[in-house]
Amino acid sequence: MDWFGLEDNPGEQKIKSVSEISAIIKKRLDDDSLHGIWIEGELTNFRPHTSGHFYFSLTESFQGRDYLVNCAMWRSSAREVGFKPENGMQVRAYGSIEVYEPHGKYQFIIKELSVVGEGDKYLLVAKWKKQFAAEGLFNEEFKKNLPAFPQRIGVVSSPSGAARRDIENVISRRYPVEIVLSPATVQGDNAPSEIAAAIRRLDGLVDLIIVGRGGGSFEDLFPFNHPEVVRAVFECKTPVVSAVGHEIDYTLVDFAADLRAPTPSAAAEIVVPDKKQLLNQLKSHEKALEDSINDRILREMELLEYFRTRMHPRRFEQAINEQFERLDDLFGRLSHAITGNIERERMTVDLLRASLGASDPKKPLERGYCIIKKDSSVVRSVTELFRNDNVEIIMNDGECTAIIEGVKNGNDI
Amino acid sequence: MMENAQRLLKVLKMEMTYEEQIEELKGIIEKIEKREAGLEESLILYKRGMDILRNCEKYLEDAELKVTELQDSGMQ
Repeated sequence: MDWFGLEDNPGEQKIKSVSEISAIIKKRLDDDSLHGIWIEGELTNFRPHTSGHFYFSLTESFQGRDYLVNCAMWRSSAREVGFKPENGMQVRAYGSIEVYEPHGKYQFIIKELSVVGEGDKYLLVAKWKKQFAAEGLFNEEFKKNLPAFPQRIGVVSSPSGAARRDIENVISRRYPVEIVLSPATVQGDNAPSEIAAAIRRLDGLVDLIIVGRGGGSFEDLFPFNHPEVVRAVFECKTPVVSAVGHEIDYTLVDFAADLRAPTPSAAAEIVVPDKKQLLNQLKSHEKALEDSINDRILREMELLEYFRTRMHPRRFEQAINEQFERLDDLFGRLSHAITGNIERERMTVDLLRASLGASDPKKPLERGYCIIKKDSSVVRSVTELFRNDNVEIIMNDGECTAIIEGVKNGNDI
Repeated sequence: MMENAQRLLKVLKMEMTYEEQIEELKGIIEKIEKREAGLEESLILYKRGMDILRNCEKYLEDAELKVTELQDSGMQ
């Protein structure tokens, strides 16, 4: 179906497919001017892969506009690179533009990579790093602790730079204290000696020192690799926090400092506590204190209440009544016991009376016997009696006296 | 007791550091909570705790940023 009348003018408005376009692009880019060439630019977006391949971009700022070429360097070539590629480096790369046809994307595939001009500076830094490490300037044992509540904070940075402003803003917001700025230029040839002198000026005047500057290229940050600065940081008796560039930027002062912060703002956050947080903590301490004393008082009141109930008159009444009942009970038992005893005694007495009655000496007298006494002693035998003795005769109903007329012994009869 | 009075004076004069004061405050709270002190002493401790709290709050609220710039002393 010729919907658009195209068959009338073949070749002019033919609708192409995506793959056709991709093929055209690939063909067009398959040009000598894009193969086997050197490109110079700034290395950016560096993303090392676990595979060992390098992916980055070469960029240029030209007449106010940014230009970019995406690059890849396969492991086999990347391995041969004699330095660690870092963003901001000025590099020269040898390779070819290649098109990945299905996605219509082009990449500069790099075979060789080298650093421009500053190459010797990179080597210098590597050399210094080894040297300082060997001297022990980076050793953990020399790192000092930062004070938790600093009163005076020293800052070594450019007075007109963003770093100093950022630090002041963060500290003002978080925990306002006194900041002492020791100014120094932070890039260029004079920078290392100025920075070192600025650090020495502050040493001992403040509780800690932040040394830093905003982001920049390797060249810009170079002073913070310089031995003068690194040694000044190491020898400083006051704790030093390094805050150079951005998160990914590392300079040798970072290793010599007592603490590295990724940026100047981060340094300010690390070195002071947050006033708001401290006030919140105080609030919760206040609550804990009040709760603790209230609990304590409540407990004492509860104890008092407990004692009061135990002291209630009813309880005493009860106790008294109980005692009364006990008394009653004891009294009853006592009475009972006494009565019982009396009964028993009575019975015993009756028994004794009976048996006593049985051995009454007066009983034989009723039958006619009599008792004879001589000199108040009872006479039992005739041998005790003699003629003319006075004796008493005791009979049942009375007594009489007698004189013995004669005695006869029963044996003689 | 003499020692305690001196400590309180130190607190009020901000001679103790902020940290030391917070530590003392925590100690006071613990002592009262664990009933390590008698009732009367607990009330005295509570009052000292409140003094420390007020002091610390005032210190934080009064804190002001002050920026001093050192002279370059012959750099330029």
